[in-house]
Amino acid sequence: MEATEFVLPSMWMGIVVVVILFAIFYYVGWWAAKKTTSEEDLYAAGFSIGPVANGLAMGATWASLATFMGVIALIYKLQAPFVYLWIQWALSIPLLTLLYGTCLRRMKAFTPASFIKVRYGNEAAIVIIVWMCLSMIMYALGQMIGLGMAFEVLFGLPYKYALVIVGIATIGFITMGGMYGASYNAAFQMVVMIIAMVVPMSAIMKAMGSSGWWFPPLAYGDMVPGMLKQIPEFFDMKYDYRWYFALIPAFTMGPIALPHLAMRVFTSSSIKSARWSVVWFILFLGLLFSGAYTAGFAGNYFTAVTGHEIAKPDQTILILNVFYNPAIVAAFVVGGAVAAGMSTINGNLMAIAGLIGGDLLGILAPKMPGAKKMRWGYLALGIAGIITILLAFSPPPFLVTSILWAFGLLATAVSPSILMGVWWKQANKIAMIISSAVCGIVYIIISPHVMGDIVVGKGLVAALGMSGAMVTVPLSFASFIILSFVFNKMQLATPSLEDKKMIDRIHGWGTDYDEARYNGVAMPIVLVLLSVIVFIWGMQPW
Amino acid sequence: MKEQLYKKELRNTVLFVLILLPLGHFAQFFKLFPSLQGGSMWGFPVHYIVPILVGWFGLLIIAIIMAVVLNKFDDEMDEYTSSLEDKNSGDTV
Repeated sequence: MEATEFVLPSMWMGIVVVVILFAIFYYVGWWAAKKTTSEEDLYAAGFSIGPVANGLAMGATWASLATFMGVIALIYKLQAPFVYLWIQWALSIPLLTLLYGTCLRRMKAFTPASFIKVRYGNEAAIVIIVWMCLSMIMYALGQMIGLGMAFEVLFGLPYKYALVIVGIATIGFITMGGMYGASYNAAFQMVVMIIAMVVPMSAIMKAMGSSGWWFPPLAYGDMVPGMLKQIPEFFDMKYDYRWYFALIPAFTMGPIALPHLAMRVFTSSSIKSARWSVVWFILFLGLLFSGAYTAGFAGNYFTAVTGHEIAKPDQTILILNVFYNPAIVAAFVVGGAVAAGMSTINGNLMAIAGLIGGDLLGILAPKMPGAKKMRWGYLALGIAGIITILLAFSPPPFLVTSILWAFGLLATAVSPSILMGVWWKQANKIAMIISSAVCGIVYIIISPHVMGDIVVGKGLVAALGMSGAMVTVPLSFASFIILSFVFNKMQLATPSLEDKKMIDRIHGWGTDYDEARYNGVAMPIVLVLLSVIVFIWGMQPW
Repeated sequence: MKEQLYKKELRNTVLFVLILLPLGHFAQFFKLFPSLQGGSMWGFPVHYIVPILVGWFGLLIIAIIMAVVLNKFDDEMDEYTSSLEDKNSGDTV
């Protein structure tokens, strides 16, 4: 079978598309810089973004370069089960908004760590900031690698030079525009991504002989018999039931705590607007994701019917476009991939700036003037970007692996702290610090990436953190709840009346405090029992 | 009134979580009940296309319902807290 690699027929077309896109990103950044005069502007776009723009920006922030390259590669390699993995990402922002997003928007938090600081205190906030920054750098790393690869093929440069050029250009417009720039750039980037994913797919499907070219995301059913003839196992539900269940603790619970997603909810012009943003988010994200499934399907179909093996599965969508579409379309798709990576790096770096410049500085130097804090925020943004570029010099074999693994870490070390903090007055500060730190470290240890001989699970489930999260997420919930009971009984760091009043306030009760609210024992006990069952199940050999 | 509002908030939250989770993980039902895997829809095996449709349009419908229901609930909360503030300011006059 002949191996096919992506080569853009006309390098200049690619350069023109990318230069136009960057000119737009920089213009939006420059325009946004003029509006940014306070910390609220820098980290939350002045709490002013409307539902449609925010829905688009949510989609762009969430749908990273992995949607354009990584997931298509994994569908190409692993077929239908990875479609199931991807579908559930759409739950992230609805669940986040429902479970704590609107509560934290009510308190005008910049990041989830702002809440942790008020709810549990400074020490707990530092633990959470460390976990969040680590996961954000892992996440941004995946994007930066993808952008470097896109520029490598686009300009024919060695990967390291391509990485430095695209990295510095990206950090420039993000640092310039703050959250205003990140929001409006992300909304524009989502439009580019949807068009670049869906419209060229239509021409590809037509060239492949499909009558469903009029709506690529859902109308490629007539290609199924051809696919089954070549790859009979494409739609098989491989793996046992536990694989499908493990998606919940690893990949649904983790993104709930992603600070850059939460920050999109916080930028909403109101709590009601945040909920309508979720509706637009699902509509736009569904369109983009379904386009990605089509591309993954078409990549397999292409290999099966043409005999061309795709040498680098991350490049599937690019190769399909070069093979079937004019050079200008292929160049535009590269632009779509670039937009996908940038929109997510936007969010990642803004989250790091908010965590360091807003939350950490608020702890270390509470009396620092706002203008000085803003300057530190900008500096944190730039430094985080440079660290990401340096780490991207040695990329992992699969673009998406480093991102997915980080979700399990967040699900273990951060999600329980936020959720229990919002919904349970008895959640104890020391219990939170111990469960978050210990279970987070256990998750890292039992992954194959650190100490190869201490691993729960094997193969891809271990590499992606699915088997690890199935153990450490329930362990984290159970230990947090049990330790909270124990420490409160010992009167050790028992939540104060002010902590409890704050919980009532963020749920919308204003000054009407009631000790009995969010203070029951039934919910925590049920959670502990469920956690024990999942933990035991997760410990069984994979 | 406030007891009812509190129960309503908990009920809404639990209910929407219980609806959202299966919609995003609909493929699990086809794994749990393999007999459901037989059919086809729009040319696709049902166990492939139904989770995609439910994870997109199913979620979209629930998100719309969620926005309407929870925004209405917020109005009720605001009404309650405003009435409380009015009462408190009346007490102090």
